[in-house]
Amino acid sequence: MTLQLRALALVVLSVATPACAARPLEHVFPGPKAALPAMGVIAEDTAPKQDLRMVPPEVYMRTYMQLFGGLVPLDAQKRARGGDGGALFDTWDDYVSALGFPDYRLDVPRQTQTNALMAATFERLGVALCDRALEHDLKPPKGAEAPPLKDRLIFAFDLPAGDLDAHAFAPRFDVLHRTFLGYPAALAPAERGVRFFQLYQDIVAGHAKAAPKSRFSPREAGWAAVCYGLVRHPEFHLY
Amino acid sequence: MQLTRRNVLRVLAASAAAAVTGLPTIDALADVTAHSDSEFFVFLIALGGWDVTLWADPRNELRGIVHPASTENTDTSQVKRWVDAPLDAGFKTFELVRPRGSSLVFGPGIGDLADMADRITIVNGLEMNTVAHPDGQVFSTTGRHPTGGRVAASSVDTILANETGREQLLPIVSVRYPSSYVGANLDRRVVPLAIDDVGSISRTLARAQAYDAIPERDRVTAMLSEEARDLAKRSTYPDVLDGLAVQYEGLRRMLGSNLQDVFSGGGLRKSHPEFDYRRRFTGGPAVNAAFAVEAMKRNVVRCVSFAIGGFDTHGNNYRGQAQLQQETFDLVADLVKALDATPHPTKQGAKLSEHTHILVVSDFCRTPQINLGMGRDHYPNNSALVVSPRFRTNFVFGRTDPEQVLPQPAKKFSDGERPIAPPDLLATFLSAFGVEPRKYMRDGEVVAELLRT
Repeated sequence: MTLQLRALALVVLSVATPACAARPLEHVFPGPKAALPAMGVIAEDTAPKQDLRMVPPEVYMRTYMQLFGGLVPLDAQKRARGGDGGALFDTWDDYVSALGFPDYRLDVPRQTQTNALMAATFERLGVALCDRALEHDLKPPKGAEAPPLKDRLIFAFDLPAGDLDAHAFAPRFDVLHRTFLGYPAALAPAERGVRFFQLYQDIVAGHAKAAPKSRFSPREAGWAAVCYGLVRHPEFHLY
Repeated sequence: MQLTRRNVLRVLAASAAAAVTGLPTIDALADVTAHSDSEFFVFLIALGGWDVTLWADPRNELRGIVHPASTENTDTSQVKRWVDAPLDAGFKTFELVRPRGSSLVFGPGIGDLADMADRITIVNGLEMNTVAHPDGQVFSTTGRHPTGGRVAASSVDTILANETGREQLLPIVSVRYPSSYVGANLDRRVVPLAIDDVGSISRTLARAQAYDAIPERDRVTAMLSEEARDLAKRSTYPDVLDGLAVQYEGLRRMLGSNLQDVFSGGGLRKSHPEFDYRRRFTGGPAVNAAFAVEAMKRNVVRCVSFAIGGFDTHGNNYRGQAQLQQETFDLVADLVKALDATPHPTKQGAKLSEHTHILVVSDFCRTPQINLGMGRDHYPNNSALVVSPRFRTNFVFGRTDPEQVLPQPAKKFSDGERPIAPPDLLATFLSAFGVEPRKYMRDGEVVAELLRT
């Protein structure tokens, strides 16, 4: 009898123990039942966390080639030099060290800071690009027509006859601004457009007197100057 | 006066104060700080690591591991001061060069500079702790080893340009010299103008006249300077943009000074015939020396730094090491002579040489023993040369041991007796011009013995 009771108790225990340990299946809700209450509002800090850096010289070079119509360096050199005695360019060898390229033969490291001579090199190269592009885009040889807008290098717009006011300047400036700086001029600081238009006007007004033997008309020189300003702009060289 | 405790203390305090204020280094610092803006600097580096046993720390005996230069491994025909001395096995080594009236002793690589022993300071036994070229070059010019391949401190030329040359048109021109701009105490105007050769200054500043005029381009640059300033005002970190604005202004001044005509390679050769541009090894660097003299004469530069290559002679090219050294020191001698003959641009009646300071260093030195390729490899010892009126001249500081040519303790520094090291030399060089070394350098102690009192 005692043995039977013990066996029964063991059976009851072996059935009851897992039954007590079991619990209903967990159910994970797809989202909170209600929105979390706001405890406070903090503005997102989108300020840059480090200083601007110089664009590496390789990137500058590649961009320069791209702007020149996707040429390889030797072709860009050939086009920049031209065959007209314009003295706009020499050879890349003259500029590679001033642009900050490393020289692994001599253990000369890459430069990571701009300097005044580098600024001079940017000007030299920028002037060559803008002048040659202006000749290509807006100054066709006698008897020929200017290339269609899609084939232009930099100046993908037509010049209206007569003087250019601020209203007519803005969309053309926007084309150049997008080309060089990568975003619409309307998003730039407001004074930039005004400043560049003033530059354009000053050059147009004074060009005939400043450079009487120039190959550019005053209006062409004005657009070339706007191009110089953008290809040498701080936002073009820093990121 | 009664001999009371108070009087004794007064006398002691007064004499201590007098002693401190009377220290020559303190006097010198006070004086030089006010006058360093009329000083000029030339920095040279012998790239590759030079053999100091051929010039500053000469060895002409077989001793320990020292195997001196000899007719077996050196072309002696072009080495002016090589005089044969017996060695062994039929080969000849050199007689030591002992300039008249000087206690200095050189090897034949010293060339014409031996005649200027009374104007030079030699530092021997510089402890390098490296035999890697980039490390040695950076350590010799900054006083810090690179950290993970990155240069950890500004080079001495950048520091001096920052302290004394911010207002110069060209604060620092660096021709293949390992100049570095690192740290927060620096003005953006002194970012080294790093170039391959000085002729590239002329080519970079050349401007076409067929399309536009100088005032038109200047108008663009002025506008860009305004743009950079405006962007800096809007920026959380305005330093780089402000620096770019300053550099645009610098460019306007450079282009307005007609430097391109003056600093062409051909123009410099013509206006400075005192340098020998046909030398085998230093014909090219001689143009850099001519540039230094011309730019200092015109007061447009503060520091000119340049390199002379070819010292890395592991093999048979070691045969030319002595001639290369000779040409290097001949060039330094020519430079000093040219500075002697040039008036100071702002100090009436003074010569440029009285206010120009030259420091010549190298990566490290070469092994005392000749290797199987008949050359010498890298060795963690070094020597340096200073030509400066602020330094004690006709003087050698530091030493090496006779059998292994390794640095030996030179004096008791604050951290105990030890050899002199590049940070000590650079700290001393900076202090000579009133610059507090600790402002820029982590290590290094001023070695007062090197300075003229």
